[in-house]
Amino acid sequence: MALSKSEQTAWLGQEPKFDDIIQSVTAASKMPKGLIRETQEVAALARKFNHEVVKPMRLELDRKVQENPDYLPHELVKKANEWGLFTLWIPKAFGGKGYNMPSFSFFAEEISSCCTAVANLIGVHYLGVATLMATWNAPVIFRVLNDVLDGEKTGRPCLISLALTEPAAGTDIEDVDLMDKGTISCHAQRVDGGYNVNGEKVFISNGHLSTWHMLFSFAHLEKPSENLVMLAVKTGMKGFSFGRMERKMGQKSCPASELVFRDCHVPDELVCLCPEDAEKLEKGPRKTAMQLIDYIFSASRAAVCAFGAGVARGAYQEALEFASRTNVCGKPLINHEWAQSMLAQMYGNVAVARLAYVESNHANSLRGMYKWLQFKPFFYFLKWMPQKLSRTFIHYLLNRPLGTWMLRKAHCDFQTQDDIDQTSGWASLAKFTGADMGVKNAQMALELMGQAGLRHDHVVEKHLRDARLIQIYEGTNQLNRLNLFKCLIAPSLPPAKMFDE
Amino acid sequence: MTPDEKELLLLEKTALEFARKELAPHRRENDAHPFGPFFSPVLDKAFQLDFFHALPPEEAGGLDQGICAFSVLLESLCREDASLGAILFSNACAQEIMLAAKQAGELKQIAEKFCGVTDCLIAFPAFNNPSEIDHIAQATYKNDGYLISGAVDFLTMGGMARHGLIPARLTHGKTDDFSWFLVDLTDSRVTKSEMILSLGLRGCPAADVVFDHAPARLMGDVGNGAACFKMMSEKMNLAAAAMSCGVMKGSFDEALGYSKNRMQGGKKIIDWTEFQMLLANMALQIEMASLALKSARQKACEKTRGWQNSGLAVAAVIQKEACDVTSAGIQALGGVGYMKDFGQEKRFRDAQQLQALLGLAPLKRINYLRRKMGQRDLSYGKD
Repeated sequence: MALSKSEQTAWLGQEPKFDDIIQSVTAASKMPKGLIRETQEVAALARKFNHEVVKPMRLELDRKVQENPDYLPHELVKKANEWGLFTLWIPKAFGGKGYNMPSFSFFAEEISSCCTAVANLIGVHYLGVATLMATWNAPVIFRVLNDVLDGEKTGRPCLISLALTEPAAGTDIEDVDLMDKGTISCHAQRVDGGYNVNGEKVFISNGHLSTWHMLFSFAHLEKPSENLVMLAVKTGMKGFSFGRMERKMGQKSCPASELVFRDCHVPDELVCLCPEDAEKLEKGPRKTAMQLIDYIFSASRAAVCAFGAGVARGAYQEALEFASRTNVCGKPLINHEWAQSMLAQMYGNVAVARLAYVESNHANSLRGMYKWLQFKPFFYFLKWMPQKLSRTFIHYLLNRPLGTWMLRKAHCDFQTQDDIDQTSGWASLAKFTGADMGVKNAQMALELMGQAGLRHDHVVEKHLRDARLIQIYEGTNQLNRLNLFKCLIAPSLPPAKMFDE
Repeated sequence: MTPDEKELLLLEKTALEFARKELAPHRRENDAHPFGPFFSPVLDKAFQLDFFHALPPEEAGGLDQGICAFSVLLESLCREDASLGAILFSNACAQEIMLAAKQAGELKQIAEKFCGVTDCLIAFPAFNNPSEIDHIAQATYKNDGYLISGAVDFLTMGGMARHGLIPARLTHGKTDDFSWFLVDLTDSRVTKSEMILSLGLRGCPAADVVFDHAPARLMGDVGNGAACFKMMSEKMNLAAAAMSCGVMKGSFDEALGYSKNRMQGGKKIIDWTEFQMLLANMALQIEMASLALKSARQKACEKTRGWQNSGLAVAAVIQKEACDVTSAGIQALGGVGYMKDFGQEKRFRDAQQLQALLGLAPLKRINYLRRKMGQRDLSYGKD
């Protein structure tokens, strides 16, 4: 029985809305074909990088950091820089190679299947880039990203970190509903010519390795949700120093650092976003703060899911290889039906994690950070536009107040609450799904391999240690489950309240 | 409370005190092995307190405390740090196999002849079931004695203990079944690898050991290795389950303690119901594990019919539960749970490693069913 167009729309608009429960169906037709080719390119590049760089280094680096927890993997950073990996996903408009951001997830899966720490080391740099981009302050973006581009040319890597978590505020700093009740202490005091910052940040991935740090600080600590000050802080600035490096269980090649700010003066030209800027936006400071956090995490959590898919795949591949070469009870392990069943489940777990990040990225392409970049005319314009033209014309246009206004209008004001909910909710779904699959597969691989899996030289135990962090960073899995409820379930249930116990 | 129960309670209290005093304060340093020093002074104290002699009967130089008491001892120690428990466990496995092979005299001789802990320790491949493995060491009979050649992977305490109990198959024997051999690991024909860097239990190090015609003494009858292993494992499964149970309890204690102090959203995290659910699930799993373990212990003490399979069941279930509970224990602490400043990440690693004790976890589960159905275990050359 054929339905009329209006009937169909009405049925599909009922909760759960069809467009909300599956992103790929809507996204597929809108996706530029060039995006697929780029994705294949970076996946192949990742495999080559794994073969030539990561695989030969991963165990040695992990062991070195276990022996000396203060060891920093400069040689790895240098290699990644030589391979151009720190500019690959910087938009062409800002001088980078402009590969599409969803392709980073595929890249991350490949790298993470070999070593999650390396995937995180590269990924965290783009988390810094995404945070910088999310402020849409073009002059600061140009200034910071120019250092990254120069770093590639000169062979002196320039990485960007995101400084968010505080000693007494992990989850609290990731949601405005918790911010004002929490104990947030990174204070940015307005002074002539900029801000003076005092406070500490902890668990900052790549902290010791980064040149720039995207700092979340607050002008008034009694109401942080309405007083977000985002600053770009450069290593070496007066009043900024590194504290200790954390002693982590895994992901040892990607250091987690304490950052200490003591009357650190950040000049106006490095203020990415301040409460006065947020006031000018349609949503106002509080909603803008949440939008910004969602905007960043909607992109980064998809990538973190890809880390989970990757480590799940790495564990699966190690277990498969072991089962193929090992006899158990007189016959190859691979020919035991119980082992086949476990391996099939592991294969399935990888696929589920992969599908989750793909869906999340589709949500970002339809409604989030990648919306404009993947709008077909823009995509091909940026892709084929000569770099020289980009550096002159776009640089000229964006590097003045009008540019920042335009970018903020397009990205902040035009993004609806429904867009924010969809992108953020799917990202949370992806994040905890990928993280759980990663840990699950590493555990299953250990079960399958027994004693052999316990040894450092057989990699699987490292996969488990690495995977376990994915359930914690980018918002704990608990927070992400609640965020999914908040974004994908609660909007259609008016009585539902969050963090209201 | 029966006198036996009172005695177990006292033992539990003493062991816990020891663990809190000797193990907990140095957990992080002890876990740094092989990159840091081995915790020999603690091992010496445990030796002086007769922890290593608790299980064997008097005729084997032991205190005959029984498997129930031994499992209580291990459970209490593992609440703070499972490495010492794992050393005791591994050594006890060797002792039990020698007893199953009717070698009480040999055990007694070791206990009487040597007075240092490493001299008395018997290294043992505690993370393997030799029946599952095709390639094990070979033994040849020559000039009234046996010579062992080949490799034994991941020999627990293999780099430190004076003796090792290892499985080997006779090169020209009438049977494919393996036998157990006692080897002097200080012999020049024995080569040990560096300490293996392992996932967990780093205070209970293992080494790969290669034998090149090393002299060895046969323990028991030729080809009786699997039977001895089975007798040992039936008993030691209880101890293995107890260790995992102890690790779970330690993880819960730390999670609960942390949650009473850490604030989130303006209140203690323990006051959020989502967090309460996380802790509640941990507590429920631990309660069920404790009850099951207690029941299995009782069955073992009373030698109730089927006690052996009950031991296997609690080991298989509790070891898996411990992996989940310790993972939740990390999650409860958030970022710091992943850091070495707290005990949770170590417990998580230890729990995973404990699951591999005495062979592949999936096969232990399948064998539970097979035994229940009166079938033989899945093993090399039998199916």
